[in-house]
Amino acid sequence: MKGLPELFNLRLKARSLAYLFTAGAGLGALSLLLPHDEAVRDLQIWIVVGCALAIGLVLYWTAERVREWHLQLALAAGTTLITFANYYTGTVNLYALLYTWAGLYAFYFLGTRAGLAHLVYIGVAYAIVLAQREPPSPAIRWLLGVGTPLIAGLLISRVLDRLRAERTESEERAVELRESEARTRFVLDAAPDAFVTLDAEGVIRGWNRAAERIFGWTAEEAIGQSMRTLVTPEEFRDRHDERRQALVDSEGYVEPAHFEVELQRRDGSRFPAESTVSKVDVRGEILLAGFIRDVTDRRRQQDEREALLREQAARAEAERVAEMVSGMQLLVDAALAHRTLDDILVDLVARVRAVLDADAAVIYLAADQALTLAAASDGMPDDQPDEPLPFGEGFAGRVAAERQAALVQDPSVDELPYAALGELGIDSQIGLPLLAEGEVTGVLVVCAAEPRHFTADDVNLLRLAADRVALAVDHARVYEREHKIAETLQRSLLPERLPQLPGLSVAARYLPAAAEAEVGGDWYDVLPTPNGGVGLVMGDVAGKGLTAASMVGRLRSALRAYALEGHAPERVVEQLNRLIWTEEDESQMATLIYVVVDPAAGELRWVNAGHPPPLLLSDGGGPQFLEGGSSVPLGVLPFPDFSEVSMPIDQGSTVVLYTDGLVERPGENIDLGLARLADVVRGASTDPQQLCDRVLRELVPGGAAPDDVALLTLRTIPMADRFSVELPTEPEALAAMRSLLRRWLMHADGSEQEIAEVVTACGEAATNAIEHAGVGAPFEISGHVDGRSVEIAIRDHGAWRAPREGDHGRGISLMRALMDTVEVVPSPDGTTVRMQRTLLDTNGNGDRQ
Amino acid sequence: MMDLVQLAIEERGDVVIARVTGELDLAGAPSTGDAIAEAVPTSARALVVDFSGLEFIDSSGIAMLFNLARRLGSRRQELRVVAPDGKPVARVLDIVEFNRAAPVHQTLEEALAQVSPDGAGS
Repeated sequence: MKGLPELFNLRLKARSLAYLFTAGAGLGALSLLLPHDEAVRDLQIWIVVGCALAIGLVLYWTAERVREWHLQLALAAGTTLITFANYYTGTVNLYALLYTWAGLYAFYFLGTRAGLAHLVYIGVAYAIVLAQREPPSPAIRWLLGVGTPLIAGLLISRVLDRLRAERTESEERAVELRESEARTRFVLDAAPDAFVTLDAEGVIRGWNRAAERIFGWTAEEAIGQSMRTLVTPEEFRDRHDERRQALVDSEGYVEPAHFEVELQRRDGSRFPAESTVSKVDVRGEILLAGFIRDVTDRRRQQDEREALLREQAARAEAERVAEMVSGMQLLVDAALAHRTLDDILVDLVARVRAVLDADAAVIYLAADQALTLAAASDGMPDDQPDEPLPFGEGFAGRVAAERQAALVQDPSVDELPYAALGELGIDSQIGLPLLAEGEVTGVLVVCAAEPRHFTADDVNLLRLAADRVALAVDHARVYEREHKIAETLQRSLLPERLPQLPGLSVAARYLPAAAEAEVGGDWYDVLPTPNGGVGLVMGDVAGKGLTAASMVGRLRSALRAYALEGHAPERVVEQLNRLIWTEEDESQMATLIYVVVDPAAGELRWVNAGHPPPLLLSDGGGPQFLEGGSSVPLGVLPFPDFSEVSMPIDQGSTVVLYTDGLVERPGENIDLGLARLADVVRGASTDPQQLCDRVLRELVPGGAAPDDVALLTLRTIPMADRFSVELPTEPEALAAMRSLLRRWLMHADGSEQEIAEVVTACGEAATNAIEHAGVGAPFEISGHVDGRSVEIAIRDHGAWRAPREGDHGRGISLMRALMDTVEVVPSPDGTTVRMQRTLLDTNGNGDRQ
Repeated sequence: MMDLVQLAIEERGDVVIARVTGELDLAGAPSTGDAIAEAVPTSARALVVDFSGLEFIDSSGIAMLFNLARRLGSRRQELRVVAPDGKPVARVLDIVEFNRAAPVHQTLEEALAQVSPDGAGS
């Protein structure tokens, strides 16, 4: 609405006309002031000039308000004034120009018709003037006669041109407008959205096809109606007015306004709509043009989308729950996979806290109708109450007593599991009983601080979790109980301490698998055999846990029984095989190596039932695996051939027995493990304790073995001319002492009888030491062979008692009878018995009658 | 810890035979003595303690034998001991002059043969 039409607005036309009148008035005034013809009537001319000036001024000042007809009137008045001026001046020559201007103005400023009317009026007025006045000279008359038609012709041709141009233009405009309108209408009609035009008062001025479809009102019906009453629901009408008025009142260009509204159809039904309204200024007229879109579908889609989102959220929630449940299930599996109850509880509270996005979670365990805090997500509190919480007391106690889930908002400090939680600002907490087979085994309490706030939904979710937690706890408890039994049983099956074997040094290690696994079936034993040897056992029962442990127990008892009966190793192992073979559980199987070391004979005998080979480390020689004598494990065949192998061993040799856990690593050939063991042993200390430590340090770094490891080493101490050994003051030490003495006396090259007699004499002295010495203090036996003379001293820490008649009197008599000299030396801190005997040079006749 | 001594009881008629094998010392003697004493009913005529398979005996074992001899004597039951010569056990029995308390035989058969037909033999 700007640009060219602005040039022709009424205000500008009025101003231009005002200049014309002012100029004409100025010209008239000028003709009066200059010397002029006597015929001129000054007064009348001054009046005409005054009128022209007045009209000019009025036009100028009222240019803002003038209407088109005012201008036409002014032009007609101008023509009249020019005519009067012509008449009163008596000359017509100057005023033709004024007429021409007036005509031109008429054509430019007014419509063609108005212009023609003015032209006619000018022609008539001029003709009248010409008829009244005789031209002063022929020349001027000629000029007027030629000039007037010329000017008139020019004017007329100009008028015709303009008429033609205007017609063409208006026709084109009409066509263009029609086309444009049609196009616009077509576009608007084709638009899916209603296009409605309102005037400033809210009266409908435009209504497209879509509007008809959407509202149910035809354009004829709608146009002229008020938007307010036609389609606006009653409760929204005031708002409609406010918005409309705000748009109308807005200054200048305004961005289209968007509204979400509810509108009414013809049938009274309502629908949600979105409207985009623009303020339009059409030739000074304010219109509001708006697109209105029925968003019912979109709302529905939106609702559907929201429903979909809700569904997705619900599914995600369900998946979360499922994940949590599977997490709990995993935990249950984990519980079965040999984890301690404590670990599981700590894991559980952490998980529950994470799953529920809670701030704290604790688990109480129940025992004897009372609860004890067992795990807390933030670690066990310092201010944990010493006394268990009885059922029915406190929040958790009530949950346990009522066996019902409870939700508490804004719990008091007393209701919190422990006071430190109060600092977190806990404002809601849930408690759930953990039920296993109908029994309350514990209580799970979950706490939340702002902004988290528990609701009944959380209780339901947690109820699901609680079932799993209860299951996990129950499993863990059962497992732990079983584990403890098995562990205790197994520990009891390993020798509490190894027998003191004079002349032999023994060390053993047992390393349970690192990952808190069930106790394995590894075991070992050391037992003196009746003939003065020592039996070394290393075994591995297949399987784990209670079953394996009990099998170990039976094997151990049986082996001891058979061995002590003096059976040869292969017979012992055969008996063990029979024991396992006759087991009802057919899957029972065990590997075992049984080695008998006879240090007196300098012999090693062994039977290997499917066990890794023992390692022999000779004094001064390299390590050597004892590969022979190997057969199938126990329990595989009913009558396997367990062949016994023997080999001589030097004094100072070390035997190393172990289970596969020491040498086997997943995915590795066992030969590599054996080679590693040989490397570690080579050049190591011969002291069994140090050797064990070194082997474990090197082969089980960090003490964390994937499988159980048992290790047993025995070293035969080389016999020398002198020996000295401490023994416990226990009757059981006597056999060991005799074994040592026999070896030593053989080393001293004594005869069989001499050995028996010296051993008997020493036994008497040792028996005395055991019977009289204080319990716990060991006694010491030392020997020295010098040539054929054997000297033995037995020193105890008790008081010697004078030989009495009777049983104990026989002891000293025996010693005296069996040895050359016997000397009893009492002292404040013990008694020493010194004995000496000279061995015969030749065997056979050494007995003393 | 371990039982180096083993005991086997056999009854032949009214004679009880106690075979003691292994090594008899302070660790095993008291219990072995008790076991043997319990195995002899009052109706038994005699007890033969067979040391043929015994590798070692000390004063505790001797004390056990003397105790058995006292007990059986008070019940008018015979005690006979089998200990072959040349073995360490016979040597010890010899030294303590056990044959003053009860007869010592070379073999079980000899001991059984000499059990009195009825009642106290010695």
